[in-house]
Amino acid sequence: MEHFALWLAAFLTLGIISFLYKDNAWYKLTESIFIGLSAGYWMVSLFWDNFYGKFWVNKSESPYLYVGAVLGLLMLLRLVPRIGWISRWPLSFIVGATSGLWLINYFSSNIMKQIEATILPLFSAQFGSGFDAGAAAIIGNLVIVTGTFSGLVYFFFSKEHKGAFGRTAKLGIWIIMITFGASFGYTVMSRMSLFIGRIDFLLSDWLGMIL
Amino acid sequence: MKRNVPLAITFIVGAVLIFSVFIPPMENWGEDFTLFFDIIAVFAFFLGGGNLLRVHLTKLSRRKQDWPYSIVTIMGFLLMLAAGLFRIGNPGDINASLTEQGSLFQTIYDSVFVPLGSTMYALLAFFVASASYRAFRAKNREATILLVAAFIILLGRTPLGTIVTGWVPESFSILQIPNLAIWIMNSPNLAGQRAIMIGIGLGVVSMSLRLILGIERTYLGGDDK
Amino acid sequence: MKTIGLFRFLPALTSFSIAFFIIFSPALKAQAPDDSLSTTSPDALAVSIAPPTSLVVFDYKYDDGEALELTWVPSVDDLPVVGKVTGYELYRSDNGGEFYKITELIPGSNNFRDEDLSTGVNYVYYIVALSADARAASVKTEAIQTHREWLNFNLKYLFLIALIISASVIYFIETARRGKKLFVRKIAGLEAVDDAIGQATEMGRSILFIPGINDMDEVQTLAAITILGRVSRVVADYDTKIHMPVSRSLVMTAARETIKASYMAAGRPDAYSDDMVHYVTDEQFGYVAAVDAIMVREKPATIFLLGSFFAESLILAETGNSVGAIQIAGTARPAQLPFFIAACDFTLIGEELFAASAYLSGEPKQLGSLKGQDVGKALAMLVILIAVILATISEIRPLETVRYVLDFLIQVFTIKT
Repeated sequence: MEHFALWLAAFLTLGIISFLYKDNAWYKLTESIFIGLSAGYWMVSLFWDNFYGKFWVNKSESPYLYVGAVLGLLMLLRLVPRIGWISRWPLSFIVGATSGLWLINYFSSNIMKQIEATILPLFSAQFGSGFDAGAAAIIGNLVIVTGTFSGLVYFFFSKEHKGAFGRTAKLGIWIIMITFGASFGYTVMSRMSLFIGRIDFLLSDWLGMIL
Repeated sequence: MKRNVPLAITFIVGAVLIFSVFIPPMENWGEDFTLFFDIIAVFAFFLGGGNLLRVHLTKLSRRKQDWPYSIVTIMGFLLMLAAGLFRIGNPGDINASLTEQGSLFQTIYDSVFVPLGSTMYALLAFFVASASYRAFRAKNREATILLVAAFIILLGRTPLGTIVTGWVPESFSILQIPNLAIWIMNSPNLAGQRAIMIGIGLGVVSMSLRLILGIERTYLGGDDK
Repeated sequence: MKTIGLFRFLPALTSFSIAFFIIFSPALKAQAPDDSLSTTSPDALAVSIAPPTSLVVFDYKYDDGEALELTWVPSVDDLPVVGKVTGYELYRSDNGGEFYKITELIPGSNNFRDEDLSTGVNYVYYIVALSADARAASVKTEAIQTHREWLNFNLKYLFLIALIISASVIYFIETARRGKKLFVRKIAGLEAVDDAIGQATEMGRSILFIPGINDMDEVQTLAAITILGRVSRVVADYDTKIHMPVSRSLVMTAARETIKASYMAAGRPDAYSDDMVHYVTDEQFGYVAAVDAIMVREKPATIFLLGSFFAESLILAETGNSVGAIQIAGTARPAQLPFFIAACDFTLIGEELFAASAYLSGEPKQLGSLKGQDVGKALAMLVILIAVILATISEIRPLETVRYVLDFLIQVFTIKT
């Protein structure tokens, strides 16, 4: 059984990789297996965790649970064409709740906290002296403050990017590009190691070669 | 009725959740929403799973292109349901854990799911390479800035960075690539992140208000007909 | 006579009392305030370590009446390294019931927040310092009840600033509704939408719309659905094919409602079909495997990647690029944006994603909300500018007024929990 599982895993791994060459029957088979099994897997998990788990195992006293169930049932009314429009009620419930919930959440985490973190002195006796300590810290804080400022200018919608405003917006997009470059460079290495991991599986686990 | 009730629901639920944050007896309502949502999602899955079956059964019955693969998808879906919901192939009785070693459900997970997922994930190595190649050929200034920053960070994370700029005197050590990479992460990168995050915050506030106030209502579907 | 007789005993009685007091007073003082400590031997209760003192309990402000705060002065024997105290135990009695241990704390602790309490219950506490061979209990606190507050004043500034920015959004929506023309600059990625759909129509190919992999409880998915409303309206007008595989059942439902509405608004309800949107799988990479295959097999002319994306962003964007599609992407996940920028023709960065639907609608009231957002940005920039100047001044010359204003600004933007 274990042997079979190993070969199956290798067969599927190669099936996925074969897609890099071109779309082919092997990939189609692998893809179909993946979709069917994973959809089933999620349905099973949702059923046991979210439904059975909440209604029977951790029998929550919360009446909300039943309101949720009623909304869920209303959702299913889509299947009845004549009264399918009732399914918009749970949908609008979700849209309202998601909007309301995230409005304040994003407000505090993305606006308030970020502004607070940007309140930095451009100079401090604590920075130390010399090029490495003092100058680097001053330039660092200056870049953070002007970068955040000009980045915000870039996002302005109601003013044309022209003149001094346009030049500040330009600086803003450059800073944003450095940010993207940084996270690009940061991710490249970890992505490479993922692939090395799969090659390692094929060569050492499956074919028994020692690397 | 068909239009106004949903708009009213969105408005009331949205407004209540905004204010609940500031009212201690209601402060957990946001968390309760996740509970609601999880339950609704289970019911919704009947629509999703049902749709998956319908799409592939139609493909099969009409003998559309690649229809044999639809058999595989349907079989896979039903197999997982059988193993998971009815616990077929599970050692022990119906109450035994699904994730026990040796159960059909767990075996499929380990030998099919995990390798498929991680191989798909690993394909990223190729795509990162091709994306980098294209970025290299890009000629505008923005792309060049992106690339230079990426290159410094990449070098800074490898021994090569130390070797290349090891000669820079200690008092200017900030210009050594590993240190420069740290400086980029902590200063310009942070500034860009902040601007993006503040912008996102404002974008969410504005969009949420449009939805709650019923100005944005495309998701609500057709008029009273 | 009788009185005088008793009076004769007074000196003797007094001296006996004094003697009694002198002999027994240390033992009386060391007597623990609580009976539950009777298991400990009297010797251990003696003076081998000092008890914690000044134990004070007060209501935790601005909550639903579920927490009390306790502070105390640690035992004088609780010193770093050489101290004898090995920890503390905190005891509580509910409504005069038996005391029981509610938590153990490390040496040096001097406060604790007792949570999950109920209103209307009298709580009494005491704390015990522990050493290797002794225990010393503090005096008990007065009985206290928790109080429920109806407004969380800790969040007053959050409320105030959220109110100002929300009000400015609503103000500009209203201003625009009343007919005032508001300028909104061109956003390249969104200007391209019409052309991209037009091109697909001319080529007779389809449009692929991917709304990210999160469910409807994610704001980015909501943004994607609102944009879908605008895109599908153009699609319906041009009679282009739209294909939308999704990874969440609820997103499928919402997307169908949205597209159907667009076809109705375009006066072509018969051209709509539920098959335009179909569910694939909730599994991240299973979904990616399927969407990649759709891209390669159908060769769509235009691909929209809008919403919440994770590692799959680059797999999808690169595959789309390889089939030569025009790609318009957008997400609010900063980590995925660089990949979209590298592989797509147009990328909506963060805020632009949320503004897209309003922009595409072209309706004055929707555009008004974008102007409201700008007020928020201006406010943020102003605060940063003023606070940075003040922070720099106070580093150079410590002026009291400057420090005061700066501290106030920092306090306003700090979220207390």
